[in-house]
Amino acid sequence: MTEKTTDRVRMTGISKRYGPILSLSDVSLRIAPGEVLGLVGDNGAGKSTLSKVLSGAVVPDAGTIEIDEETVRFETPADARAAHVEMVYQDLSLCDTIDVAGNLFLGREPVRRVAGVSLLDKRRMHDDAKAMLERLGIVIADTRQKVENLSGGQRQSIAIGRAASFDPKVLIMDEPTAALAVAEVEAVLELIRTVSARGVSVILITHRLQDLFLVCDRIQVMYEGRSVAERKISETSIEEVVDLIVGRKFTARSAARGDRQEGVSA
Amino acid sequence: MSSGGTNEGALHAPAASARVRRATLRDRFMENGSVASIAIFFIVVCVLFAVVTSSFLTTPNLLNVIRQSAPLLIVAAAMTLVITTGGIDLSVGSVLALVCALSATLLQWGVPWPLVIVAMLLLGGLVGALQGFFIAYERIPAFIVTLAGLSVIRGVALLITGGYSIPIATDSPFVVLGREWFLGVPIPAWIALATILLALLVFNHTRFGRYVTGIGANSEAVRRAGVDTRRTTLMVYVLSSAAAALAGIILAGRLGSGSSNAGQGFELEVIAAVVIGGTSLFGGRGTMIGTLLGALTVAVIGNGLILAHMSPFLTPIVTGTIILVAIWLNFRLFKNASRSR
Ligand SMILES: Nc1ncnc2c1ncn2[C@@H]1O[C@H](COP(=O)(O)OP(=O)(O)OP(=O)(O)O)[C@@H](O)[C@H]1O
Ligand SMILES: [Mg+2]
Repeated sequence: MTEKTTDRVRMTGISKRYGPILSLSDVSLRIAPGEVLGLVGDNGAGKSTLSKVLSGAVVPDAGTIEIDEETVRFETPADARAAHVEMVYQDLSLCDTIDVAGNLFLGREPVRRVAGVSLLDKRRMHDDAKAMLERLGIVIADTRQKVENLSGGQRQSIAIGRAASFDPKVLIMDEPTAALAVAEVEAVLELIRTVSARGVSVILITHRLQDLFLVCDRIQVMYEGRSVAERKISETSIEEVVDLIVGRKFTARSAARGDRQEGVSA
Repeated sequence: MSSGGTNEGALHAPAASARVRRATLRDRFMENGSVASIAIFFIVVCVLFAVVTSSFLTTPNLLNVIRQSAPLLIVAAAMTLVITTGGIDLSVGSVLALVCALSATLLQWGVPWPLVIVAMLLLGGLVGALQGFFIAYERIPAFIVTLAGLSVIRGVALLITGGYSIPIATDSPFVVLGREWFLGVPIPAWIALATILLALLVFNHTRFGRYVTGIGANSEAVRRAGVDTRRTTLMVYVLSSAAAALAGIILAGRLGSGSSNAGQGFELEVIAAVVIGGTSLFGGRGTMIGTLLGALTVAVIGNGLILAHMSPFLTPIVTGTIILVAIWLNFRLFKNASRSR
């Protein structure tokens, strides 16, 4: 983690209402260049909604976003992409009937001009896609395969590859490891370490708390649409994070690890 | 994704090479099963009529089939884009009728023919843009918007003509588009060919075509990839209405008159051609070659039945049966081509 005084992203007072549900209520979030922030919270706490606001997929009702100290307004995902904010969505957002290379390059297909018209440069697309996958250690036999014929984990790898490959400044990963096998999870964590070392700010949303302690610098906890706590990773424990997530002292067998520490509730 | 690619201390033997093999010719055939089945169907129908009738497989007749099916081919090409986005355009028959009626009226008023053609194409595009606006920006289902369009636009055509057929002077260069020949081939056939080639290029080799497929597969994914999906959707309806207008110009020229009753049921014929060709009504899967074969199959059946001295009223019966059989073949024969869901 590089020490810098300026924040890469500063979200302030973000609110979003869906009908009767206040998904986000006055939420703030900041992240420095090269920092890895773990965003945790119960199901429905608003993590995905908050990250979608940053990726431009959701327009908030209130609040401001600053990137590198400049106020931005993301009306569409295209705006966020232009500001080098990339996101791996929880539902992956792939087009099943388009091939692997097409999904990797969706929205920024290489084109060549033939007699004044822009045509897809499919050869380059497949060559580059192959190189991209190899660089990330993703094993997929044929970039011409349709995505619908891939396994859940392979699909997830493609979504990650797409977000990580186009020089992001901010990389948001919404449960990127949900469908992955052991070795693949390790590879994603390694990828997070590599890109953050390059100065990319990473927001990692996951329910695998042990992963947070392997890669994150800081953890932000959300509870029912509010941001309720923030901890440096060096100053907290899994047990405390569990208590913060559920909002009370909680003994979760699934999160127990060796000698238990005293939990602190929010 | 796998970390560490060394085989040192591997517990399992590497998978047999058969596990992943490059797509063979057979794979490609199966993958394009819908096109393959309509191709077989088309050939069977052609062979059948060639055997049963003596005049089917003659150059003049084949050229005649293409000339008559030009409007169908042109609109079906655009309809393939619409259906691949997961939409539908029921108004194409009415747009065709409006253009027939209006162009005849304008010519009668003495408006120069090139101006009439340009105005009609613009009108088509405008009608499409209006419908596309309600579909893409106001999120009203395409079926509803274009059903309303079907009714309103045909109504306007009827109002203009009062229900009568308006003649076009046979010496007007306007009729050239529908009747003349160029290099031994009817001009409508040339226009249809150009449209199909253009549609092929746009559909398979441009970003726009890519997004059309993407929108049908997962519109939100395409939007999140930074694409203006609303504009793309609107454009698709502009193209289908403009294609319907072009078809109307050709038809009015060929018939030498403009009638507001032209193209009754044309939209269903077009949709049938597209669906027979293997484009999925659920969106995300479209094939321009399939549409070409589908439209030609529909046209050949109509022509062949007449040549075989059968009742022309058999045409809709046979066409309907083929829709069902072709789709059924796709499901049965090529079930394993794509992952069943
Ligand atoms: N498009 C939407 N329409 C209506 N309600 C929504 C929408 N998106 C999110 N919500 C609501 O907002 C709340 C927060 O949802 P969100 O997806 O952000 O939770 P999350 O923290 O990502 O949960 P999970 O851990 O299950 O992914 C939920 O109550 C959800 O029902
Ligand atoms: Mg979520």
